[in-house]
Amino acid sequence: MSGDALLAVTGLTAGYGPVEVLHGLDFTVGEGEIVVILGANGAGKTTTMRAVSGMIPRQGTVEFGGVDISGAKPDAIVRAGVSQVPQGRGTFTDLTVEDNLECGGYTVKGSIAEDLERWYGVFPRLAERRDQKAGSLSGGEQQMLAVARAMMSRPKLLLCDEPSLGLAPLITKELFKVLGNLRDEHGMSLLIVEQNAGMSLALADRAYVLETGSIVATGTGDELLADDTIKEAYLGVVN
Amino acid sequence: MSLFIERLVNGLADGSIYALLALALVVVFRSTGQLNFAQGEIGTLGAFVVSTLTLSGLPVWLSILLAMVVGFVISAGVERVVVRPIEHRNPGAVIVALIGVFLAVNQLVAMFWGVDARGLPNVFPDQADDFVTIFGAPIRVARLGVIGVLIVVLLLLWLMFNKTRIGLAMRAVANNQESSNLVGIRVGTILVVGWGLAGAIGVLAAALLAPSAGLTGTLMLGPFLLASVAAVLGGLDSPVGAVVGGLIIGLTEAFMVGYVDFLGADMLFPVMLVILLVVLLLRPSGLFGSERVERV
Repeated sequence: MSGDALLAVTGLTAGYGPVEVLHGLDFTVGEGEIVVILGANGAGKTTTMRAVSGMIPRQGTVEFGGVDISGAKPDAIVRAGVSQVPQGRGTFTDLTVEDNLECGGYTVKGSIAEDLERWYGVFPRLAERRDQKAGSLSGGEQQMLAVARAMMSRPKLLLCDEPSLGLAPLITKELFKVLGNLRDEHGMSLLIVEQNAGMSLALADRAYVLETGSIVATGTGDELLADDTIKEAYLGVVN
Repeated sequence: MSLFIERLVNGLADGSIYALLALALVVVFRSTGQLNFAQGEIGTLGAFVVSTLTLSGLPVWLSILLAMVVGFVISAGVERVVVRPIEHRNPGAVIVALIGVFLAVNQLVAMFWGVDARGLPNVFPDQADDFVTIFGAPIRVARLGVIGVLIVVLLLLWLMFNKTRIGLAMRAVANNQESSNLVGIRVGTILVVGWGLAGAIGVLAAALLAPSAGLTGTLMLGPFLLASVAAVLGGLDSPVGAVVGGLIIGLTEAFMVGYVDFLGADMLFPVMLVILLVVLLLRPSGLFGSERVERV
């Protein structure tokens, strides 16, 4: 698998100061694939994302498109084609919607006018609000903005850190539809960390289960959805 | 009437210098969240560089530009060498370190240029007969020049912040460093540039003030305090607020000394403190400071 994987992570160890949070993770994301890492609070989901995008010191190897990016800085990783939708959306609240998108295209050389129109087309609500400050958008709109902003850098791989966090179920459903479309219509690969098992596993091609910094199970989305321990732990279904 | 106009222009001219310095403070505060205590002293050092360069025969305007480059480099260096390494370990200690830089620069100036006051030539015509008459009031050209400089600097800053890539990045970094990093902005570079810019603006303020105030090692002490008040008054994260705050202080100074007999120039600081207190009680984030609006 890792031979032709877009993202291949082996033995990923990371943490904060003396505290090790991730204890040697192995996972891959293939071309055009949605991979979900399922985990409860404190499992290490955000740390995994931050480690992949170079925001914290890490050990182990991270290969992207066959190139070792283990030691690369965040901006170099964005330029390589990995973009992140951070937890809590991380929009530039004081900047307008359009400025947010332009920041997303910061690493693109040349004009981003076409990219702007393209993502305004996908997210018409953002087009309507292009001159509004991002902080005045609703949570759902901000999440869409965060996705659109991440897409502005023309990535091959999109990292989504708990996109459903704080969103109403209906909005989450809409969002996951958008994420699915990114794969189906734009040929994107996605790595999503989530604790919303039901919706994310239904979307995922493959999934991993993360518990206290280690991967404890893996399979296709459907396989894990059918798994009794998963049901009990993440869906609150007791047989 | 003519006296009023004269005081108005003088107030605006002094206010422009406070506004420039307050702008420099705000540019740093927005990006790093620090009040740069060394801001004024770097300006003073720059003014002495102007003095040395003009004495060696360079035109004043060129000397000021070169001194601004020196200010840029020193201020950028302070961010990179002093602020950043300390901030990672202990953000609270940065303020102490900056007071240290303040003292160090202050002593450096005394070491290189001595403690005697010296004059500094004005970049604008400033002979006895260089004045224009506005509504019957004789206004010195140099005073109008200072106001003009503020307007030009504001225009350039506005263009930079709103029309250039680096300006966009500076606004992004001021708003959210983590997200800036994630969209591929080199946050460290942007911080260095922001501090450098502030240093250059501080030198400009000092070089405009020195010809009338006299160039000494303590040139910027009072103006720095007033500019800090101006920045807080206007809202520490608002460039517009910094300018309005600076002008309010300049005008208060001019009119208070001119019209209120029992309040002399020495009373400026207490009066400003009262104004600041009232404004902050009514608007805790200053006149133009953002009370962050965020829906979740």
